[in-house]
Amino acid sequence: MTTAMQPGGGSAARPSPSGLADVIDTILDKGLVIDAYVRVSLVGIELLTIDARVVVASVDTYLRFAEAVNRLDISQDKEGLPGLIGDMQEGGAKHKTKGALEAAGEKLRDFAADSRERAGQRSGRAGKEGS
Amino acid sequence: MAAQSETKPESEAQQTGIYVYGILPGDVELEADVRGIGDPPGEVRLVRQGDLAALVSEVDVSKPLGEPDDLVVHEQLLDSIAPDAPVLPLRFGAVVASEDAVAHELLEAHQDEFASALEELEDRAEYVVRGRYVEQAVLQEILSENEEAARLREQIKDADPDATRDARIRLGEIIDNAISEKREKDTRTVGDALAGHAVASVVRPATHELDAVHVAFLVASDAADEVEQAAEKLAAGWEGRVELRLLGPMAAYDFVATTAPES
Repeated sequence: MTTAMQPGGGSAARPSPSGLADVIDTILDKGLVIDAYVRVSLVGIELLTIDARVVVASVDTYLRFAEAVNRLDISQDKEGLPGLIGDMQEGGAKHKTKGALEAAGEKLRDFAADSRERAGQRSGRAGKEGS
Repeated sequence: MAAQSETKPESEAQQTGIYVYGILPGDVELEADVRGIGDPPGEVRLVRQGDLAALVSEVDVSKPLGEPDDLVVHEQLLDSIAPDAPVLPLRFGAVVASEDAVAHELLEAHQDEFASALEELEDRAEYVVRGRYVEQAVLQEILSENEEAARLREQIKDADPDATRDARIRLGEIIDNAISEKREKDTRTVGDALAGHAVASVVRPATHELDAVHVAFLVASDAADEVEQAAEKLAAGWEGRVELRLLGPMAAYDFVATTAPES
């Protein structure tokens, strides 16, 4: 059942959560939590949850970035990164895109506006930004 | 086909528990021979109660859970259901004493809450857009945009690392801050590009220092193609700069919440 990641030549990879990292980011601190009194406590689970969340920039991070800059080859242009992206480009499975149902878009848009407000999660609207 | 719950040797009451993966509508059917977590894996079945069903398997609670395989199985099981039926995913690690407790203390006790949450997920699934900066590309970008960073780079070049420690730390800090700013901006770009195709979205916190984008979208099944196309377009535009992936359809982990107190 394991589906390997399969970015199709620089396009968005499709299928399901691939690596363990994706799984960890998803199921350890998201999803429903059941009442403590119904639950049988298990050793180690809370620990797992905490471990999964720690991302703090530290001096070590800074030094690592500095070292990475130091190693940058000045003459290197933006495309000279075969080592980094090479292994991600394997198995470029293309997926077919069937005609989309545009009609649904309208309805959803209204709906989306509402739910976004409720979720309070969307970060404002920014204009087009090039990168 | 029909999920039944034949009892198994449950001799030592404390040794086994019922692991709960998620909550589904009561009218779903389960394929035979679905294997759950644990070693050996428990057989997955449905505990039905009223209009609801819980997806469960028996686990040995004397052994620690949380092997990589367990995590993967938990998610794959739920994600395999999501395209066909609404499912409320439980966070990893929910174990209840018995099937009877699942039926009554979990399902029956939260009947209305679960039923209405499931209704909201009808014909919808979650997709996650996840991008990571290509390190060399993003560093080049920052050096070309930030004079101080470029200057510090010259300063540490070929210099004794200890003697230039402060400069290195400052450079790294500038980079880290710059990446955070880019992350915010790029996250907005993704949000704007997909908002019209999604019912709701949640920005996930970065879990890696080079994370560019990590956003979950709740998408109606008939808008899945649009989401794919929009993601493809973004990925193409960022090629070489951000490795973008679209995950899904998956169970709606980011769009469920209970009022159940966590303690």
